[in-house]
Amino acid sequence: MRILAEGQGEYLKPDPDGYREWVRDHKSRALTPKLMGEKEAIDKFVQDGDYLVYECTYLQRGPSSLIRELIRQRKKDLWLCAKFTWVTAAMLVAAGCVSKMDVGFFLFGPIVGSAVREGRLKIYEYSNVVMTNRIMAGSMGIPFIALRSFGGTDGFKHSGAKIIEDPYTGQPTLIVPALNPDVALIHVQQADVYGNARIFGTGASDRESALASRKVILSAEEIIDTDEIRRDPGRTTIPYYAVDAVVHAPFGSLPGAVQGYYGADVVHLMEIVASTLLGQMDPYLQKWVYGVDSHQDMLDKQMGEAKLLELQKRMKISEGYRP
Amino acid sequence: MTKATHFNEREQQICLVARMIEDGRTYWVGGAGSPLASILLAKKRYAPTATYVTEDGVIAPEPALPFDPLMSMVSAEAGYRALQWVSMNLVGFHAQTGFMDYGIINALQVDSYGNINSTAIGDYEGEHRRFGGPGGGDSIAALCWRTIVMTDQQKRKFVPRVDFISSPGFLDGSPSAREAAGLPRDTGPWRVVTPWAVFDYDDNRHLRLTGVSPFVTVEQVLAEMDFEPAMADKIETLDTPSDEDLVLLRSELDVRGQITDVSRWIELRDGRFVFAEQG
Repeated sequence: MRILAEGQGEYLKPDPDGYREWVRDHKSRALTPKLMGEKEAIDKFVQDGDYLVYECTYLQRGPSSLIRELIRQRKKDLWLCAKFTWVTAAMLVAAGCVSKMDVGFFLFGPIVGSAVREGRLKIYEYSNVVMTNRIMAGSMGIPFIALRSFGGTDGFKHSGAKIIEDPYTGQPTLIVPALNPDVALIHVQQADVYGNARIFGTGASDRESALASRKVILSAEEIIDTDEIRRDPGRTTIPYYAVDAVVHAPFGSLPGAVQGYYGADVVHLMEIVASTLLGQMDPYLQKWVYGVDSHQDMLDKQMGEAKLLELQKRMKISEGYRP
Repeated sequence: MTKATHFNEREQQICLVARMIEDGRTYWVGGAGSPLASILLAKKRYAPTATYVTEDGVIAPEPALPFDPLMSMVSAEAGYRALQWVSMNLVGFHAQTGFMDYGIINALQVDSYGNINSTAIGDYEGEHRRFGGPGGGDSIAALCWRTIVMTDQQKRKFVPRVDFISSPGFLDGSPSAREAAGLPRDTGPWRVVTPWAVFDYDDNRHLRLTGVSPFVTVEQVLAEMDFEPAMADKIETLDTPSDEDLVLLRSELDVRGQITDVSRWIELRDGRFVFAEQG
């Protein structure tokens, strides 16, 4: 296969057989309860140096309580899949958790800027869909995937993409390496204790990340009975055998919204966006992350029941989000 | 329909794009802001059967407006009464297989061949100012049949060559540059719309000025470009918003003024549209 052009960016090397072996050796096929607390899940399944993907954003159905716990545990040297993300990239960089980033889109500010300038952070350029395509290839068990975008961009030069002569059509065709992240954090509306999970509504690459990642931590608004899953199997987004840990996290996406459950805490969102744009993350982290012991502690200390009820009431739309 | 006598630049730009929207066509709308406001205004006023999809996979919604700040994706309001909910990969595949007629995206910087920069201003390898990256813009510009780009009429935004190609236009302008880079045949930039002007592309894939807003002259537009565009044989005077357009924009689409707040105002004075005196 003739290579016509190739990017010079470092990339996580695809290893489909290695991934299959990981699945064989580490993913339980038995229906084993995996319910655990956020502390245990992050401690057990996120290691320094891991490649981390998380689904959706700090604003919208993201695994925000897990992200905050990861920061509290001061994980380091992570390689971040910064596709379709807003402030989380800056939060993790400010907290010293990240050393590399594959970028699709993030809310840029001085924190990431100075980390790059000072050589603490390396950035590789992609786009949102290029990254979700890479994860899709990882979830398919194949080494690379061809796509019809990304060619001709300057991002290409700073990526792991190549343009090849397609052996079937003879046309120049772009390929990107499959991505099998070490760990995925995904927030879902409902899951059973085994990890059978339902996501209602749109998202980036929830299904793909769950199948492509070596370790998968779900946080769920509700833990439901397996009988309920079996009653409507078409609604299962993620099967149990892909999942390593299930964390019950009501309001787990705050300050973001979860479709059908609660609206965003807009004042809190403005606080984190301003912290990102101004490059002053410490007060934010102190108040919302380090200053509390856990997600529940954050809800108790910084939110209170009345506020939580108000956010629930703000979610007026339920069509499509309740079975 | 009554012509408005007082509107701002962003409202003018959104109305220009809204009037380009065609019934029965599909649009892939990048992010939120002006592109989303344009298609929503069009659907309510000009092209009710136009359809749009979003990057997170909402297909043809009837959204519950207005949205909370920043909640234009993966939100119940934005996805309300859609025909389907899919994912980023699937909506990308819809475009990759040719289902998306048009893309609408914002750009930080655009060049004479319609290439778009949303990554870095300056020398990427050296001193530069960084921005958020292409997001979904790269896929929209690569995969939709035609792409509408929205940006401001400023010299630093219209450059001969963008500092960084985040999303592809006609690349180096050579006839089959996009195909050689692996992009689908017959796709590419179609219009650039600013509050002051509308551009298309000539046969050499070079940006061409086709119309200017009535509150600026051709010379003013050219003075806010760092290169000379091709010129259409006749430069059209562009239409302005109606009162009906503005009522919708202000009461439903941009209630908090997040999209339209930061731009200059235009008023009708002695029968001519002019920039309002700065208060």
